[in-house]
Amino acid sequence: MRREVYNYLQRTGRLKRRDVLKGMAGMGTLAAFSGVSTGASVRPAWAASHGALRAEILKIPGVGMGSPTDADWQKVGEMCLGPIKEVVSEGEFAGVELTFMGLNNQNLHNFLFRGFLKPWEAYTGAKINWIDLAQADYNARLQQSIATGTVDFDIIEMGAPFEGDVLGRGMASEMPDWVAEIIDMDDYVDYLKAPVGTWDGKTYRVSIDGDCHTFAYRKDYFGEGSLTGRDVPTTWQEINEVSKMLAGQSDPLTGLDAHGYLDPLKGWGGFGFYFLENRAAPYVKHPDDPAWLFDPDTMKPRVNNPGWVQAIQDVMDLIATENAYPPDQINADPGTTAFQQFLAGTGSMLTWWGDVGSSARTSDTSVVGDVVGFGINPASDRRYNAASGEWEDTMNEAPNMAYLGWGVYVMATVEGDEKKKKAAWSAAAHLGGKDLSLWASAYPSGFQPYRNSHFQYDEWEEAGYDREYIEDYLGSNLDSYNHPNAALEPRIPGIFQYYSVAEDELAKGFAGQYGSAQETADAIAAAWETITDQIGRDQQIELYKASLGL
Amino acid sequence: MATEEGDLLHVVTDDDIGPGRRRIGHLLVWGSFGLLIAVFAVLTLAQTGRIGLEFGNWRPALYAALFWGICLGVAQVVLYGEQGKRTLFILPATLFVIAMVVFPLVFALGIAFSNWNLSSLEGRSFNGFDNVVQMWNDPFYWNALKNMVWYTLAIIVEYVIALGLALILASEIKARKFFRVAFLLPLMLSPVAVSWMIGKSMLEGRFGPIARLARWLGWDRPAFFSDPEIARTMIMIMDAWTFIPFMMIMLLAGLQAIPRDVQEAARVDGASGWRGFWEVTFPLMLPVSITAILIRIIFKLKLADIIINVTSGGPGGATDSVTSFIFREYRDRSNVGYGTLLAIVYLVLIVISITIFMKLVDRWMNPRY
Repeated sequence: MRREVYNYLQRTGRLKRRDVLKGMAGMGTLAAFSGVSTGASVRPAWAASHGALRAEILKIPGVGMGSPTDADWQKVGEMCLGPIKEVVSEGEFAGVELTFMGLNNQNLHNFLFRGFLKPWEAYTGAKINWIDLAQADYNARLQQSIATGTVDFDIIEMGAPFEGDVLGRGMASEMPDWVAEIIDMDDYVDYLKAPVGTWDGKTYRVSIDGDCHTFAYRKDYFGEGSLTGRDVPTTWQEINEVSKMLAGQSDPLTGLDAHGYLDPLKGWGGFGFYFLENRAAPYVKHPDDPAWLFDPDTMKPRVNNPGWVQAIQDVMDLIATENAYPPDQINADPGTTAFQQFLAGTGSMLTWWGDVGSSARTSDTSVVGDVVGFGINPASDRRYNAASGEWEDTMNEAPNMAYLGWGVYVMATVEGDEKKKKAAWSAAAHLGGKDLSLWASAYPSGFQPYRNSHFQYDEWEEAGYDREYIEDYLGSNLDSYNHPNAALEPRIPGIFQYYSVAEDELAKGFAGQYGSAQETADAIAAAWETITDQIGRDQQIELYKASLGL
Repeated sequence: MATEEGDLLHVVTDDDIGPGRRRIGHLLVWGSFGLLIAVFAVLTLAQTGRIGLEFGNWRPALYAALFWGICLGVAQVVLYGEQGKRTLFILPATLFVIAMVVFPLVFALGIAFSNWNLSSLEGRSFNGFDNVVQMWNDPFYWNALKNMVWYTLAIIVEYVIALGLALILASEIKARKFFRVAFLLPLMLSPVAVSWMIGKSMLEGRFGPIARLARWLGWDRPAFFSDPEIARTMIMIMDAWTFIPFMMIMLLAGLQAIPRDVQEAARVDGASGWRGFWEVTFPLMLPVSITAILIRIIFKLKLADIIINVTSGGPGGATDSVTSFIFREYRDRSNVGYGTLLAIVYLVLIVISITIFMKLVDRWMNPRY
């Protein structure tokens, strides 16, 4: 769970006092029973029944008892070590040293992993060295390691978009069957199942996170008695219509200008392109075709087909409508649209990752906490079929699984040393374990729920969470994750290069330097062709097909 | 070395070096050099898989190079005696500069003429002048260069303001020390902090205090980064705000170095305040001014952080600088070969233009009749 959500729940009393006390009592019983709080494990907690274990770990440190500490992470790590103990004997990896590269965002990620893996180290005898990276340094560090052949880590925390760079080069170790059994991949939400995490039919990824864009809107703009009096828009056509209509009106909350949908018109190191994708996906992601950005047989960009051009045109239409956007929207990146605009009461509709959903009610600077609603990304009332080259007048939903979430991968550096390989995979399996991940999704960890079992609201309620809030918070994600026509990004090498150059061309288009949306799209397509040729067209075709599971 | 009678204190005599010692000296130099070449050759062969040896890294080559450097130093003394000891004073520094500046530059040139996208499985490959052709046809690069001309021209205005402030601070004003520190404060701020505090917060369109002030003054929908000219001007102002104090402090030091009697003499001769400044102070300040402007130009040509943080080069490239463009090309697109070429070309352009600038200034200040 995002840290801010947890803090919010604590602050606003959306944690039930009775359950908190119940949790503390339960924890005391458990501590006395297993000895985990003293570090001297008399009897492993995993021996308890599985359901009881899940309930017990959710009481560490106890919902509403403050943010978990390293001691709590270690306790959870210890209690969830059961499945590992079934396949690894005590001291089996004595003398093995592994290096783990991951992030240090918000003092979470690697810091949690350290705590979770400490009991694993104590039990197996292995030692882990850590490489902590800031998010901004991550891409460059990874790419340089790959390009210069200096892979100095055995396990990596990595986003699925980089799978093309790493898996496509055969740099990762294939997941052994025993790991797949431990982590129960059937429990993953649909979009995280193959082909994500796989390459050429082989599985490499232990998922530890889920990611997608969802739709956020202001309830005081939509519904009965609201500013517009209209229902919440469900299609991009409606969104543009209402955005134009709102130009010139006043915001009911702030009294300043009212605005509709907030498009980020400035680049964001490649990440800004996800937001044009949100608009384009329902136009171009056809249910019969997994591809929507490139033609998988030729790598010819589809970004200048009529569907994409329509998405760009939609944005240009709003730019051309006076006061449809806030002033300076051309200089607004996604960080601005979410945190400086939407949460601060500017604009009424937005698509973003889960952070906005959580921050809306948890951030001190948010003024929209009481009037925000969530849903799946908007649909389109028509879609473009790239195969036939025709528009189809059929309603189409295609939520954008932007970034796909974090996973743990084992590098091929462990191949040839069976002991080291087993050690690395058991560490990865421990981090991606079914129970441990439930704890990570319920407490501040930086990770979102990503298993169907994470959405058993009874467990959350039992742990002390307010059911209504949790259902609201998680529901929009669940609908997107399991959508049959979810738009998955291509996990090909250099995918962020394509996004980055597209941002540059879009910026020119939005600033009126190209004659039309089509010209803008053609410029993006030309730039993408150059990148494809530079990286190697045959390679990209092969890897793109592999990433799509074709 | 030539010696002169009467200056025996500073005379270094040629030592009498025997043929045996010479042989040892030559052996040291060439032997260690041969070892260096051999280590490089072995590592290259191992790297390309032509011999069965495996090395984890190129560290042996580094050790061989260090060994060669030490032998070269020792050989100077062995071969040339006292004279060699003189060489030893600068040899390590020379080798260090070659290792840290010349070698990377040559290496960078190699990369600049390569097709090297970090995502390409093929790795680096020499591609001749393809990158140059790409640069020639790259509207983003030319646009950034054009912007750099505007940014650099803004230094004239910055100089005028800095000189004015320096003149004020050099005069007998109240709370002079306070103002000196206060005027210097912006220089102490990181440009990244300036980007966020001013560019992203104070200039924020709806709630930023400057936007509120603009609304109060009658500008209905203030937007500081939507119009290309306004956006470029805002970047110039933020950059100027940070660096004017730097020029100011240099000019202030120059002003304080001017002997007061020159001004006083001018005043006795009946010069007005303006004439005293224009015909006495300003000409005397020229050398300092030129230095301040030159250093400021060098700083300006590296302008990137404020742009990256505030506008990302927008709207539509209106505020892009060459460095911020290279940053995107290199960091976001992992296009190492092309990015390096752009940087090298930019370096060459800077060296040429600064040289021309200095020559022109030199001619202007020291006319040859």
